[in-house]
Amino acid sequence: MEHTAPTLESLHAMISMSDTVSMEIFYWFCTALMVIIHVGFLAYEMGASRLKNALASGVKNILAFAFMVPTFFFVGWWIYLSMYNGFVPDFEAGAAGLPWSENMGPNLTDNASGIFWGAFVLFAATTASILSGAVIERIRMSAFLVLSIILGSVIWILAAAWGWSPSGWLTKDWGFHDFGAAGCVHMVAGFFALGVVLNLGPRIGRFGENGEVYNIAGHSTPMSMIGLMLIVVGFFGFLGGCIIYVPGEQWTSIFGTPTTLSAISFNTLMAIAGGIIGAYLSTRQPFWMLSGAIAGIVAAAPGLDLYYPPLAFMIAMIGGGVAPLVDKFMTHKLKVDDPVGAFSVHGISGLIGIVMLGVFSGFPNVLEGAPAISFMGQLKSAIVMALLGFVPGFVLSYILAKAGVLRVPPKAEMAGLDAVEVPMKAYPESVPQSPDVVSFGKAV
Amino acid sequence: MNVSPITSWKDAAAYFTFAHSPTMIGVILTLSIVITLGVVVYTFMHENHSYIDYK
Repeated sequence: MEHTAPTLESLHAMISMSDTVSMEIFYWFCTALMVIIHVGFLAYEMGASRLKNALASGVKNILAFAFMVPTFFFVGWWIYLSMYNGFVPDFEAGAAGLPWSENMGPNLTDNASGIFWGAFVLFAATTASILSGAVIERIRMSAFLVLSIILGSVIWILAAAWGWSPSGWLTKDWGFHDFGAAGCVHMVAGFFALGVVLNLGPRIGRFGENGEVYNIAGHSTPMSMIGLMLIVVGFFGFLGGCIIYVPGEQWTSIFGTPTTLSAISFNTLMAIAGGIIGAYLSTRQPFWMLSGAIAGIVAAAPGLDLYYPPLAFMIAMIGGGVAPLVDKFMTHKLKVDDPVGAFSVHGISGLIGIVMLGVFSGFPNVLEGAPAISFMGQLKSAIVMALLGFVPGFVLSYILAKAGVLRVPPKAEMAGLDAVEVPMKAYPESVPQSPDVVSFGKAV
Repeated sequence: MNVSPITSWKDAAAYFTFAHSPTMIGVILTLSIVITLGVVVYTFMHENHSYIDYK
């Protein structure tokens, strides 16, 4: 049998295809790891709910994921590709993201669209899960679905088009840099959740008539802790999905600045540790220590590609330490009931992270005409992210509240949403499901 | 029903079902959007029914 020597051209084609497939494999597993974030959110929120609401909280979380996928297919990807300049879409740039485009399905000439779309869907689902935790035990499922679809398939991706894209106007005009999506994912979702919670109101029994704060303990702290740890595991997929695999070349951030996966490894692990230690210092409490890990990652996320690792560690320590204090302030002073501290862990830590990168800035951008990373650029961009999250969350939930469709009836809340909405019991052979007694001795 | 947009894998690009038929793509896409939004509406109605005893 005669063997012919490979030509330079055939070798080049082989290496090129091998690179392309490796890129697909990388994002495929990042997406799989990001699904673990949702395993985590599921356990975390069910554990943080009282027994009478455990399954309803789970159903809400599962549905958020399920509705995010098709709605992000319908509009999300198009928004990302077309809206990088503001509110006026670039129809030519967005054409590949239209749901009837040839790129939006099996296509042998496009190895990128589906795999990037998949990763972005999981980012979208993360935003919905952040909202989900803040509204447990009293929101109507239908209202939650409407809000999470708007947040996950419209709002966050608009923020990503502006500030987490190679050509977004925040980077082009202000030099904004945010490697790990602290702005478009965490700040936007955290501030959106705050807007919703303000209109939704606290759970019955959370505050006394004279403003006393009562603890409403979830039914399983260990379940919540395992969930939080799973979210931390899933962050390796999340942050892997934040780095761009350019076949045959060095990795880049989503802004096109060169980096390495090695850099992200250094700083992610240092941030996790810093967040846990920071929360330990301010609370001594395991639920917050693991929430602190998340807050730490979020606080360090904007500069994970740039920081000296001990600096990432200290910034994360600030994020992890401050988040529970902000949550305490929101609860005790402002009487805001955010059962899992979603606003402080994601919104405030994201804000700290973006501003911190402004403090330790000066790195150049690669986008033509874009200024270097600066304090004012980061600060202004953080304000944009906060407003882009808070305003739609507040306005939409205000409309739903005025229409009387935001919150479950008080009697249903007292009885527990599992009994009202879910045709099964969480623990049918063990603990009685209701009535539920909280620590201050009052049946709620 | 032949739903394949290709007759050969040689030089094939977009090859998903109905890729050659904008009408069918439009019908399936519209249907999937209506179903997705319809389930949200159905959820709302189901809740109203569930809450009857808790008003």
